[in-house]
Amino acid sequence: MELLKLLSANELVAQIIAFLILLFLMKRFVWKPFLKVLDDRKNRIASEFKSIDDAKDEVAKIRADYEARLAHIEAEARAKIQAAVEEGRKAAEEIRRLARADGEQILAKAQESIKAEVAKAEETLKDKIVNLTIDVAAKVIQEKLTVEDDKAIVETFIREMEKK
Amino acid sequence: MELPNIITILANVFKGSRFAAYITAWENFVFSLIIIAVIALVSCAASRKAAMIPARLQNFFELFVSGVDDFVCGIMGPNGRKYVPFIGTLFIYILCMNLSGLIPLMKSPSTSWSTTLALAICVFFYVQYVGFKELGFWGYLDHALGRPRGIVAFSVFIPLMMLLLHVVSELVRPISLSLRLRSNIWGDDMLLAVFAGFGLKGLPLLLFNSLMAIVVSVVQTLVFCLLTTIYFTIVLTHEETHA
Repeated sequence: MELLKLLSANELVAQIIAFLILLFLMKRFVWKPFLKVLDDRKNRIASEFKSIDDAKDEVAKIRADYEARLAHIEAEARAKIQAAVEEGRKAAEEIRRLARADGEQILAKAQESIKAEVAKAEETLKDKIVNLTIDVAAKVIQEKLTVEDDKAIVETFIREMEKK
Repeated sequence: MELPNIITILANVFKGSRFAAYITAWENFVFSLIIIAVIALVSCAASRKAAMIPARLQNFFELFVSGVDDFVCGIMGPNGRKYVPFIGTLFIYILCMNLSGLIPLMKSPSTSWSTTLALAICVFFYVQYVGFKELGFWGYLDHALGRPRGIVAFSVFIPLMMLLLHVVSELVRPISLSLRLRSNIWGDDMLLAVFAGFGLKGLPLLLFNSLMAIVVSVVQTLVFCLLTTIYFTIVLTHEETHA
């Protein structure tokens, strides 16, 4: 009973009403907006972490793909280089063969040309010798010849020959 | 014996008038209203500029809100989120009331049993409401009748005794909850008033007791809120067990 003297019914009711008003205000101005902000931030952080993880997975996948491609490209490049070397070697061989054939052809032509030239020169020389012989014979016939004259004639002939 | 506050000073100024009698009668309620007004204004100011990147005041409120959320959900699990506003409001209100006794010319309204009992009655009715809402009438009765059941004695006698025990324990809760808080804060304020009466000689004791009063205020607030959370947990745990 002593304890009950500490109580005031009016104050009790007023305090209950005051607390309910505070509860309403706090719900309106603190709990709803701040719990929402905290939840939004938590969700945002979680989604950003998830997107970072997804991006990491994507990068790992791309990297694996890139490495596989790189390995494939290297093998392909080696094969291509090998093929190019082989082709080059064949081309060089072909060029050498053609050059050899050309050279032989030119050589043959040159030989033929030389032969023709020699034959022509021989012909010309022959003609000239004949002419000279005819000239000498004509001179011998026209002049009375001594041993000295013969010598002189021959020497003249030889000198002329040398000149020519 | 208590330290002078704005109401006692005003009552002395207007001694003998109806105004003095009125404000003396409503002394604790006036301080409660002042505290409610301050909390509401600060909350309003904090929530007005709420943004994704928090400023100083918002930071403080977010810390408080997330702290209460963790406290309640840590005990009750994810279902506890529904009761965070109620328990959090109790926490901030009781803490401010307890600490207001340390501010010059103020008084702790929680030194009045009417104030603390009002809060305990709110807790009592809310817990009963949650019990009825979550379990339904028959479920709540089943919860009140307790265990074990089965043979005749267990089917009638023990459940009736358990029901009686349940009713008594439920009715005693608000009384124990409110008296514990009121008496601790009242005791602290009495000690402060006594040490203040010593003058300069009592200054070290006054300072020490002020620090102790801060600790006691926080601890008593936590005890009140923890017990409230446990009352909710008991109701909801029972519901989950039956489910």
